[in-house]
Amino acid sequence: MKFSDETLRAYLEGNSDAVEAAAIEAAIETDPELEQRLMALDNFAPVVKAVFEDIPAEVPQVNLPEAKAEVVRSQSSGGPWRLLAVAASVAVLAVSATVWATRPQPMGWAEQAAIYQSLYTPDTIASLDNSPAALDAQFALAEAQLGRTLNRETLEALPGLELKRAQVLSFKGKPLIQVVFADDQGQPLAFCVIRQGEGAPAKDVKLAALSGLATATWAQDGYGYMLIGSNEQTDLNQELDILTTTFAG
Amino acid sequence: MGVQISSEQAVRGAIQTYSKRVWRFGLSLSGASDVADDLLQSTCLRALERHHQVTSHDRLDSWLMTICRSIWLNEVRAQSVRKAQALSVTPEAELISVGPDSETNIFAAEVFTQVMQLPEAQRETVMLVFVEGYSYREAAALLDVPIGTIMSRLSNARQKLKNVMQHDAADAVRRSGK
Repeated sequence: MKFSDETLRAYLEGNSDAVEAAAIEAAIETDPELEQRLMALDNFAPVVKAVFEDIPAEVPQVNLPEAKAEVVRSQSSGGPWRLLAVAASVAVLAVSATVWATRPQPMGWAEQAAIYQSLYTPDTIASLDNSPAALDAQFALAEAQLGRTLNRETLEALPGLELKRAQVLSFKGKPLIQVVFADDQGQPLAFCVIRQGEGAPAKDVKLAALSGLATATWAQDGYGYMLIGSNEQTDLNQELDILTTTFAG
Repeated sequence: MGVQISSEQAVRGAIQTYSKRVWRFGLSLSGASDVADDLLQSTCLRALERHHQVTSHDRLDSWLMTICRSIWLNEVRAQSVRKAQALSVTPEAELISVGPDSETNIFAAEVFTQVMQLPEAQRETVMLVFVEGYSYREAAALLDVPIGTIMSRLSNARQKLKNVMQHDAADAVRRSGK
């Protein structure tokens, strides 16, 4: 028997009649897929979960006896020193397992670039020399490092943005170019390109808020691209349309 | 390295990973945070004693929850309930952390209070399904009841929680002056 989302919502809100409720409950017993659907439609669960998930605020303390080195029991020789050594190695293993399980994920270039960009203020870029001569020199250097054109004409023609500077940075030995713009309020935005090398996987455009900034990242033909807004709400769509077309390989 | 971890190590790891979850379950069973502390401690000691029983390292969370519940039912419940009747049941809304957004906090405290005032069977079911994300059939296996019972407990709980949720929505509209 097939139940519509409406029927399931009515059940969850307590608005279905007894016959229908019984039919749904009976069907769930043999239909895990229906169970998953019903659970996903339940609006109560996320509210209650949000209230309880930070309780208790701290990880509660548990006192456990020391780990015993049970491996030793099955071995007849070795004496106390060996037991101590095994106990120590078990302890080390336990600690490293914990450290491993809680290790921070290594940060990618996009996260690093977003952190760097988040330190920019209007004042950072207000006094930059963006004369044609200065930009000529910066772009020549950046394009040489990167091994590809940065399509300066396109960058200069981005609507509502003033090109301020192209800067050579580096991430794990790979050249990373940051091109900074000012919007009409003087707020800083950036377009970054990193050379990832041949064989780096292509990636579709992904939008994310990183370090409090709206970002879009994509990758193609061995290069990674990233557009970074001036805040979390910056609408990047217009620039994104132009840049994804221009930097298509 | 190819090191196979022993069942004792697996249990110690599970205790670390799931201590908050077991504590919350203890809270939902007993309705009191000091009892939840004790239940967590007893559960972990018992689990460690019984690590030899562990055959698979999967779902050690459910195993810990089962131990917690059996300690509650067999060893703690009778005395705690007697104590609770003497005091009046005061749900511990101070467990809700006080943040800058007081309206959100008031709502959170109301939901918390409503959940804690549900009958024990509904409370433990709400905790397992709504908060910890167990499916109906997982919760049924853990609590040793039919799936239909899980579903009807949740329906009853929703009916009671409905008031506070609707009330809050109405409040929010009134406050916004529309």
